[in-house]
Amino acid sequence: MGAPGPLVSGALLTGRGLRVQRAGDAGPVAVLDGMDITVDRGEVVDISGPSGAGKTTLLRALALMLPGVEGSLALDGVEAGSLGARIWRTRVALLPQRAVLFCGTVRENLRVPWQLKVRHGADVPGDAELRDALDAVGLGEVALDRDAARLSVGQAARVALVRVVLTRPEALLLDEPDANLDEESAAQVAAQTARFAESGGGVVRVRHHRPDAIVARRLRLAGGALEEVAGGR
Amino acid sequence: MGAEAAGGVIAIGWWQLLLAAGFIVLVGAVSIRLSLGVEKDLALATVRTYVQLFVLGLVLRWIFDIDSPWVVLGLLLIMVSSAAVIIVKRAPDAPRGLLGSSFVSMALTGFIVTFAVTGLVIQVEPWYRAQYVIPIGGMVLGNSMTGIALALERTFADMDAREDELLALVALGATPWEAAAPSVRKAMGAALIPTINAMAAAGIVFIPGMMTGQILAGADPLEAAGYQIVVMLMVSAATALGSVLAVMLSYHRRFTAEGVYLERGLREE
Repeated sequence: MGAPGPLVSGALLTGRGLRVQRAGDAGPVAVLDGMDITVDRGEVVDISGPSGAGKTTLLRALALMLPGVEGSLALDGVEAGSLGARIWRTRVALLPQRAVLFCGTVRENLRVPWQLKVRHGADVPGDAELRDALDAVGLGEVALDRDAARLSVGQAARVALVRVVLTRPEALLLDEPDANLDEESAAQVAAQTARFAESGGGVVRVRHHRPDAIVARRLRLAGGALEEVAGGR
Repeated sequence: MGAEAAGGVIAIGWWQLLLAAGFIVLVGAVSIRLSLGVEKDLALATVRTYVQLFVLGLVLRWIFDIDSPWVVLGLLLIMVSSAAVIIVKRAPDAPRGLLGSSFVSMALTGFIVTFAVTGLVIQVEPWYRAQYVIPIGGMVLGNSMTGIALALERTFADMDAREDELLALVALGATPWEAAAPSVRKAMGAALIPTINAMAAAGIVFIPGMMTGQILAGADPLEAAGYQIVVMLMVSAATALGSVLAVMLSYHRRFTAEGVYLERGLREE
């Protein structure tokens, strides 16, 4: 990444001068045009904007999940480069829009993160912790032994969210977490997100819906830049 | 050429070759009568068979006469290079720059296994004796080429099919290997199925090519079986090792240095 800008102290996640270029029909287009973003602890920031404006691109850039990004990222004032990409991703966790569940039971799915080398030696959550986490998002009726292939879209989205929250990241990047969800499921996802923020995490959500009760700030992405939208909490 | 027997082999003469073509002409007539539309392909394939195999016979006779290790090694190298080119062509969805890893995997497994068979098992003297090295090398290379091509094609096709899964895994902190491993395992299984099937069916459903050849050449069937077992196991090993090597050398080309999977939308090709 390029030259770091001054980092705001107290901020959890900061991006400075983020720039991403894409090949367009008429030459390269700056999807992100040198933008800055700051997310504080306990804050839920919503990003909206026309489709194709680069919202998912921004989330992927923040998660170090995109090649060719210029600019600097820091978590709690520590540069991304000094943490390394994989450690960064465990602390700044991206939840992609399409919920991915693997072959196996719900329990196996929730424990996938602990099969990875990056969490080698960390305590694997026990059944009681998994049960509580599922109950908290309204999945009380879903047994840990349930085949993940038999979950509905709304249930799968919540299991994927629970899985990433259980890994205790510091920042959560949620790509349209309540798209395709019924109102009840969406409310439970929002409640879980709020609890994550209240426990000191920072959240960036890409969202099209009307602002809900948990959003602290709303930003609009257009023309490669972010602007504040009035109407946050 | 005549029909005289030489060393237990009944030689094929010109009129036998023409007789064989006669049967193909018969098939061609059937094809025209029933409008099967294969007569042109059949004719072309027949001509190719005649030309290619006679040229091969001439080349091998020439190489046997020269009796030089360099010519034998050179020919093996040409076979390895052609195989590497064919592998790359058979995996159009694979990332660029696979020629090198295909060549390395073909060359390593091909040379090691071929000379293990000729040198350690058959113990030919001198070690480069073309009569043994070239046909066995051809079998080893041909089979491992098919396996490697299949393994590479399946690996990259499966990773593309698992695009969302790879994104989710990398986001959870997975290394490229952790993300790619399920695809690699599936591909390796697929690459080895033809070999395993051939091993399982050998001697029951068909008599393997090399054993057939040796029996026709007048060898004792039990001796021929011994040869065939050795070659079959070595060829299977070459296919497996070559496929593993080729895939391990190339799966990470679909990931960036920071371990991000390059899904179709992110490729600059």
